[in-house]
Amino acid sequence: MSQKHVGFTVLKGGVQSTIQDSGRIGFCDIGLTQSGAMDETAFGYANKLAGNAFNTPVVEIALGGLALVSTCKQTVAITGADMHPTLNSEPIGMWQTHRLEKDDVIRFGFASKGQFAYLSVAGGFKTPFAYGSFSTSVKEGLGGIDGRKLIEGDFLPTQGTCLPLKRRLPSVLIPSYSDEAVLRVVKGYQEALFDARAHETFFTTTYRYKGEGDRMGYRLCGEKIVPSVTGILSEPICYGAIQIPSHGEPIVLLKERQTIGGYPKIGSVIAVDCFKLAQLNVGGSIRFQSVTPEEARAEALAFRARFTF
Amino acid sequence: MNVEYRIASESSVILYFGHTIDAAVSDKVYQAYAALKRSAHPAFLEIAPSYASLMVGFNSVRYDFQTTCRLIQSFLEDAPHIDAREQKVVTIPVYYAQEVGWDLEALALEKRMSIEAIVALHTQTTYRVYAIGFAPGFAYLGQTDERLETARLANPRKAVPKGSVAIADRQSAVYPAKSPGGWKILGRTPIAMFDASYPGLSFVHVGDAVRFEAISQERFLALGGEL
Repeated sequence: MSQKHVGFTVLKGGVQSTIQDSGRIGFCDIGLTQSGAMDETAFGYANKLAGNAFNTPVVEIALGGLALVSTCKQTVAITGADMHPTLNSEPIGMWQTHRLEKDDVIRFGFASKGQFAYLSVAGGFKTPFAYGSFSTSVKEGLGGIDGRKLIEGDFLPTQGTCLPLKRRLPSVLIPSYSDEAVLRVVKGYQEALFDARAHETFFTTTYRYKGEGDRMGYRLCGEKIVPSVTGILSEPICYGAIQIPSHGEPIVLLKERQTIGGYPKIGSVIAVDCFKLAQLNVGGSIRFQSVTPEEARAEALAFRARFTF
Repeated sequence: MNVEYRIASESSVILYFGHTIDAAVSDKVYQAYAALKRSAHPAFLEIAPSYASLMVGFNSVRYDFQTTCRLIQSFLEDAPHIDAREQKVVTIPVYYAQEVGWDLEALALEKRMSIEAIVALHTQTTYRVYAIGFAPGFAYLGQTDERLETARLANPRKAVPKGSVAIADRQSAVYPAKSPGGWKILGRTPIAMFDASYPGLSFVHVGDAVRFEAISQERFLALGGEL
């Protein structure tokens, strides 16, 4: 078998399946969005199970519908939202590795819990590297396979690596994608433009996610809060930033957010909780909880330690 | 330098140099941006400038907020001032005509001036790149002559052609790729604003001085422009 045929052929692209790593860092100044895996916890476990370094490209499957055929023997792992994956029409487990033979077909149904599933392969996908990352930004037409979502007929090159042993994530570590999320927030940016009542409303309201969201950000419904100004001079937007447009409902900006914007922000959801938000079921509820930058940093350190970068 | 440091997130800090769109504030942002870029310090993962602010994404595993702020401060204090007058002026050739400048006629009516006068006003200004955002390589250029100040289109277009040179409020921009947009289009440039073959990927960068130069249809086509 020639090297160039080692990999997967896409039979069905699904709703939006894309190649992602942890994101494109360092190009905000020329307008490139971060992009990257929406849930780095499931992404990290997918790579860990497949024996890969943390920041190895995987396929992110949004909502479901992906089907692909393996062109060689290789080991894969599946994590994230349960899309009832099958191997040659037989149901297979999540959060573990599977050894594939040539012509084996993996199919994903649609998520009953969670929004994003991750398919990793031992050795990683060998797709093009663009501007410091393998991540696809569909909006920008950059990275991955021609800057777009996967479609029927796409070929995803791999290394054709098999792991000798089956690996499974201990069940205590498997995240449950519940209908409730408590998101920890570091106050910052224009927090001073929101009065005491606005702060109180923000931190006591139970917001709901009605499905108005994508890789760019999630809009939440609930008690409206009003900043003392409707707009600010456009400024850079970080991951997790909570902007409050004039409609008064918070929008949490995620991986494929715009790089600059002019709405006031009350603070930012910490990264590990952005991953939880990304997986929240439609109809799920959200509460915000204020934490100090030190507590937030401790969470970032714990996340890092879990994946031993 | 009077700079305000605020938390943006657990891994980013935002610096404010003022709260207005003007060249003096933008120059401070640019000086700080250049100093931090030049430092190449491993703490700084993302250095993102805008009109009056600069956000620094830092490696929060190795550095905390306080340490990062102190590091930034030390680089800003030690930075040699880069004289803006020594910067080169980037020239963008533009074919200004109704066939590509879809809003020229309406703008001429709105402003009660000829198309020639609009082109003259748009090409006589030296602009400054205040920020890049919205799309890769989309540069916000200020300030457009106040006589050309205009509102965005009430109904944004679903598709603005690549290379369109457009204005809104007192800003000018070039659409680096075909995209939706509500700015009023004056003309089109044959120059690619964002290209993987450019060393810096973007044709212009924050802090650059920019001028537009009117060219003929013949020249536009010769430079690779598409109608």
